[in-house]
Amino acid sequence: MKGLLAARASRYIGFFALLGVLALSACGRAPEPLHQEQVLAFGTLVDISIWGTDAASAQQASAAVISTLNALHHRWHAWEPGPLTEINTQLARGGTVDLAPDQIEVIRGAQALSRQSGGLFNPAIGQLLAEWGFQMDERPADVPPPHPDAVKERVALQPAMDDLQLDGNQLRSRNPAVQLDFGAYVKSYGVDQAIAALRAHGISNAIVNAGGDLRAIGQRGGQPWRIGIRDPRGPGVLASLEIHGDESVFTSGDYERYFEFQGQRYQHILDPRTGYPASGAMSATVVYPGGGVGGGASTALMVAGPDNWLEVVRGMGLKEVMLVGADRTVYLTPAMAKRIHFEIKPEPKTVIGEP
Amino acid sequence: MTRADWLVLLLAIALLPVLYTKYWGAGGPADRARIAANGQAPLEIPLSRNQQLHIHGPLGDSVLEVKDGRARFLSSPCPGQQCVHSGWLARAGDLAACLPNGITLSLQGARPRFDSINF
Amino acid sequence: MSETVHSTRDDHRIAWLTALAISIHIAESALPSPLPGVKPGLANVVTVIALIHYGWSTAAWVALLRVLVGSIVIGTFLSPTFALSLAGAVASVAVLRLASWAPVGLFGPVGYSLLAALAHMAAQFWTAYWLFIPHEALLHLFPLLMSAAVIFGTVSGVIALLTLKGLRAGASP
Repeated sequence: MKGLLAARASRYIGFFALLGVLALSACGRAPEPLHQEQVLAFGTLVDISIWGTDAASAQQASAAVISTLNALHHRWHAWEPGPLTEINTQLARGGTVDLAPDQIEVIRGAQALSRQSGGLFNPAIGQLLAEWGFQMDERPADVPPPHPDAVKERVALQPAMDDLQLDGNQLRSRNPAVQLDFGAYVKSYGVDQAIAALRAHGISNAIVNAGGDLRAIGQRGGQPWRIGIRDPRGPGVLASLEIHGDESVFTSGDYERYFEFQGQRYQHILDPRTGYPASGAMSATVVYPGGGVGGGASTALMVAGPDNWLEVVRGMGLKEVMLVGADRTVYLTPAMAKRIHFEIKPEPKTVIGEP
Repeated sequence: MTRADWLVLLLAIALLPVLYTKYWGAGGPADRARIAANGQAPLEIPLSRNQQLHIHGPLGDSVLEVKDGRARFLSSPCPGQQCVHSGWLARAGDLAACLPNGITLSLQGARPRFDSINF
Repeated sequence: MSETVHSTRDDHRIAWLTALAISIHIAESALPSPLPGVKPGLANVVTVIALIHYGWSTAAWVALLRVLVGSIVIGTFLSPTFALSLAGAVASVAVLRLASWAPVGLFGPVGYSLLAALAHMAAQFWTAYWLFIPHEALLHLFPLLMSAAVIFGTVSGVIALLTLKGLRAGASP
């Protein structure tokens, strides 16, 4: 009797072991060596993902990234007193400024991008941005937009990057209306410096995402990093793509900074030709190998809108671009159409533009 | 067919919709909210329990609400209130952020669908 | 000096059943497949019958020999296809071992066949995913493949059930 019971018990144990194995097979993966951190740096939320290193070295590396970004934030801040406001003060006076090598690099880079974009990316319009109240940390609510005459006046002064003359390390401006505010462009510079800092720490699989401007290197455990691009009118993800090797994904959107006055939305990306917020597009995303042009390109595309975006694509030599128009139509270059995957149903209306 | 056979068949059939939602779902159902506050380790909470959380940021406390499998910013001490206007988040991958207060709220599904979101 | 190898009745049985399973296996491999990895798996019928009639160890021999010999005959021995089949066979045999510990008569041929088919497909899929193609896109196939496993596992089970009934009917009068 006892023996029979034992035999039966062992059979049931076997049966439950089977159930256990089936349950385990559904969830049997070891934790990944993935370190993710989110910090306020560079005036935005910076999202750092590092794969394949132990927690301590990952922490060290991301600390290096944060201090790099914070130093750059101070160095290129357009309104908090610092190196850039000093340069701007001198330029307004018609004086000459001695530049450090990194400052020359950034200014020359921005000049080249501004030229390629046909002036649509114009970091010389600091005065206009200040006029609109976009040169303060939080624009107070219920402040009206500037008077049309004030805007017209600023635009008529035609500040442009080509007004700047660099003689050795000496910078001066032909036009005292030039006030530098690099906006998104300095974010691409910062993200590149952050990736360089990670590489110096021996990290080869990582993402640095500075509020919508990111560069990813390597992979996540043999699988490509997956990037979601935010829906400009909703909390979800509009589209996604996978990163191959070392690539940057830069998005500018009218939702990033804006204010509302009497029901009207005014966003922070200004059209330098009119002095008013660009209105043709909700967001613009550029993908390209390595680092470099990102911030300037996405800003110029926002200004160009669906009517002129292909001119910017050609002028700046871009390959992979997605522009979400004001009516939510999505404009894609053929190369972008090939790799982007929409995450919303129904899929948006798309237009493929041949550059 | 024995009773156990039928049970195996029913369980196998019941397993299929689970697999389809897990591997096919576009922005499928979310089961966790991930809350990241500036410089702190991200916090993951299940969406199954209704609760309100007070998350401390540089400007003060943001109040996050989890209810009926969804999550949102209930209030935040920021001037723009963009995070509150984002409303309820319900699908994996949805994201709302309060940049001034350094807090992001994102929903996660069975596995993280995106490693980083360009917001 | 000569040595005689004595073969037992068991050996003969295993050999015959394996030969049968291999012919089914080869016939199936010639069929076009709508999706990679989707095959009726009718050779499973033989495994299930062997399990119910002769016990687990006979069934295990039949399943593993079928993969080994079948792959040599088709010419896929030690290829990725072979690795996938082997993983599938090992997993289904292991699951059947656990299932055969359950009280006799708890599972019928359909239950065994379904368990074996699901284990076979899952093991094959994850082997393919981890060893050969660790690509996200492959994951989308998984629900489809498991659906196929449920259908074919049931069909094989029903065939085994009918065959066993036939065998008994043929044996009793």
